[in-house]
Amino acid sequence: MDQIFLGFAQLLQPSVLLLLTLGVLAGLVVGSIPGINDNIAFAVFIPFSFGLPADQALALMVGVYCAAAAGGAIPAIMIKVPGTASALITTIDGNAMARTGQAGRALSIAMTSSVVGGLISSLVLLVCAPALANIALRFGYVENAALTILGLSSVVGLLSGNVLKGMISAALGLLVATIGYSQVTGLPRYTFGSVNLIEGVPFVPMLVGLFGVAAVFELLRDIFKERRESQPYTSIPVIGSMKLESGLVRRLLPVWGTSSAIGNFIGVLPGAGMLMAIYLAYDQAARRYRRRFAGKEGEAEWGKGTPEGIAAPEAANNAVTASSMVPLLSLGIPGNSTSALFIGAMALHGLVPGPLLFAQHGEIAWMVIVAFLVANIVMWPLAFVVIRVVSRTIFSIPKSVMVGIILLLCILGAYSDGNNLFNVWVALGAGVVAFAMNLAGIPLGPAILGLVLGAQMEASISNSLNISQGSWLIFIDPVNHPIAAAMIAFSALMWVAPLISGLRGRKEPAGTGQSTPVSES
Amino acid sequence: MMKSLILGLVLTGALSNVALAEDYPTRDIDLVVPFAPGGAVDVTSRLIAATANTFLQGAEIVVSNRAGGGGVIGQSFVAGADPDGYTVLAMTSSVVTNPQLKGAPYKVSDYTPVAAYNLDPEVLVVPANSPFKTAQDLIAAARQAPLNMDVAGIATSHHMAGIALSNATGAKFSYLPAKGFGEQLQAMVGGHVDCGLWAMGEALSHAKSGSIRILAVASDVHDESMPEIPTFEEAGLGIPIWATFRGWAVPADTPEPVVTFLSDLMKKVFEDATYQQKMKEGGYEPTYRGAADFQKIITSYAEQTSTIIEENKMGK
Repeated sequence: MDQIFLGFAQLLQPSVLLLLTLGVLAGLVVGSIPGINDNIAFAVFIPFSFGLPADQALALMVGVYCAAAAGGAIPAIMIKVPGTASALITTIDGNAMARTGQAGRALSIAMTSSVVGGLISSLVLLVCAPALANIALRFGYVENAALTILGLSSVVGLLSGNVLKGMISAALGLLVATIGYSQVTGLPRYTFGSVNLIEGVPFVPMLVGLFGVAAVFELLRDIFKERRESQPYTSIPVIGSMKLESGLVRRLLPVWGTSSAIGNFIGVLPGAGMLMAIYLAYDQAARRYRRRFAGKEGEAEWGKGTPEGIAAPEAANNAVTASSMVPLLSLGIPGNSTSALFIGAMALHGLVPGPLLFAQHGEIAWMVIVAFLVANIVMWPLAFVVIRVVSRTIFSIPKSVMVGIILLLCILGAYSDGNNLFNVWVALGAGVVAFAMNLAGIPLGPAILGLVLGAQMEASISNSLNISQGSWLIFIDPVNHPIAAAMIAFSALMWVAPLISGLRGRKEPAGTGQSTPVSES
Repeated sequence: MMKSLILGLVLTGALSNVALAEDYPTRDIDLVVPFAPGGAVDVTSRLIAATANTFLQGAEIVVSNRAGGGGVIGQSFVAGADPDGYTVLAMTSSVVTNPQLKGAPYKVSDYTPVAAYNLDPEVLVVPANSPFKTAQDLIAAARQAPLNMDVAGIATSHHMAGIALSNATGAKFSYLPAKGFGEQLQAMVGGHVDCGLWAMGEALSHAKSGSIRILAVASDVHDESMPEIPTFEEAGLGIPIWATFRGWAVPADTPEPVVTFLSDLMKKVFEDATYQQKMKEGGYEPTYRGAADFQKIITSYAEQTSTIIEENKMGK
């Protein structure tokens, strides 16, 4: 307990608090600019952090990390371009709600959900970091394999009617994930002799392309369409009132709870990542929505501007940020690629994350944890300022000019990840592919999950089979691997549930108003 | 007449080269780190650059990250750079094996070694609650049935160390590759593997905290902070030294005085007390080996690995 107060004392120094606030502000802005994400921001910032004392540097990084995940929702809602990968799903319901003239409501839901998710997660972190760290240790190769299967199964909830197209998308992601040096065999695959592909298709540029560049093409299409049909430009939605009615808050509470819990759980597990958390949370929210609200008076269709569709991913992604610090600080195991950069920043200041950190530099370790709590509190008012300012300055730029600016930022962002020109081609190529998929009606979500989870799934399944000497039964062994068996069972349920309810829906007499539950987004 | 003219020309050429080198450095020096910011090479390079810049006047060492292709992108960039001493590579052991394993478009001989600043010996680690108390216990068990070994990846220097260990002792291992040190640590601390071959720099702080145990270190000296750990030879593992290295290298034709200047600069950095302390805190044992010694380390590492790569048909 004393240590926690020491952490607070460390954080409440004016200089540290100032840098935390600066970090939150920077994170919100970085997050809200498509093409630039927290990973790229850190790559630029880490060299600069060398000159700062450890507590100030880490406070700044916590602020950026925390707020970037929230800031990504702003362009996702306003112009249907996710600012960061974490806001990928927020575009669906968020932009749909904004187009009905409720942009302020959508933004408000997104920010409040982010803050609530982050607060819940950092409180959990504060109270039971050591216990959570032990859960992470229960995850071996078999459990990790089951986890990736569970993550990929959340695709089922994302399939928009056409199951085949969803499967094609997931397969595409998994196939691209096989490019590069194979972890299992140590041999290069599908690199076509290019050294640029040895590590696989560079990930950050690819994401920049899939979200940012593809959005540029879509904006261009809109512009041409408007010109051809000589319609006036559809202007950026007016923000309007940002007040959340108390009934809505009460209604979203369970979603916040579930999504934060999912974010917390996924965040603690190394290698699972933020994208998996938002998909799982969105999937759970969709199931709940269909049970309780779908088809009722005044309720939008799922994927067409529901509050839950915004709240779930936003609460989940901020819950991940804080909880990914659990394995990092207590065990020295980074939970995702962004938190891995904390290790580098800490090492620059002679701090090694792990059990010794709490013993030797307890005040710094606890300060980082407390900083997540404070960052989320600071973020709430700041977010509303940034929304007003950003939307007034950035989004008031004419669409045609904005297209150029976003494209430029995407190219810069892709290049700055490794200072390699090849990355720019990757971003442009990925943008073309994503746009083509969009034209063909193939959803992007399953492909992203396949990309994120592919290599890990392959390696963990291969390693599990290595341990079991080739027996696949290891994945459903309730005695030695109960967690894995439970996750496999849960994944199976995710696949079977829509089938069953689909069959049941067919038996009902026609005209009950209940559409098939599989269709969404 | 002709002869002396040629001699004169050669001398003038050589002298002008020296004159150029004497002024060195007149502008900023690019220290190319072929990995993303935040990793071990990046962190140590930034520490060195910051210390070295206190000794330099009128020029600075600037770290530039050229990541991608598992280091090959940045490494190739330096191999093709002007040999004027203004492009320096943060060189790691992977430069030696990448041409064979990853088809990198350069040769080790495309670089002139400047100095090594960190040698990271291989360590044999087990989970804290492992039944194996000594390296010999572990080898004896691995001779009976293959043990699961946690390594950074197939065809990495750690995997090759495992093969060398098998060749020397007859022990059998089943290799479980991981992506990144975090995954390896998780598998080890959680007790999901029997043993692992890791870099000392990564293992040490976790051994000190008691979450893992180090059974032996593949070095000819004991670690200062944990002298009770036996060397591989003392533990009867039959491999004298197996260490990856970090250092500086420049393109092959860089003038000798420039190489000497940089090598001496690294020595001054090494002798700096703050640098020593910061490196140790970060888990990197500060070392200094001049150009000639560094060349020996590289040659010996190349000999150790190339046979294993050929025998096991790696990278093909």
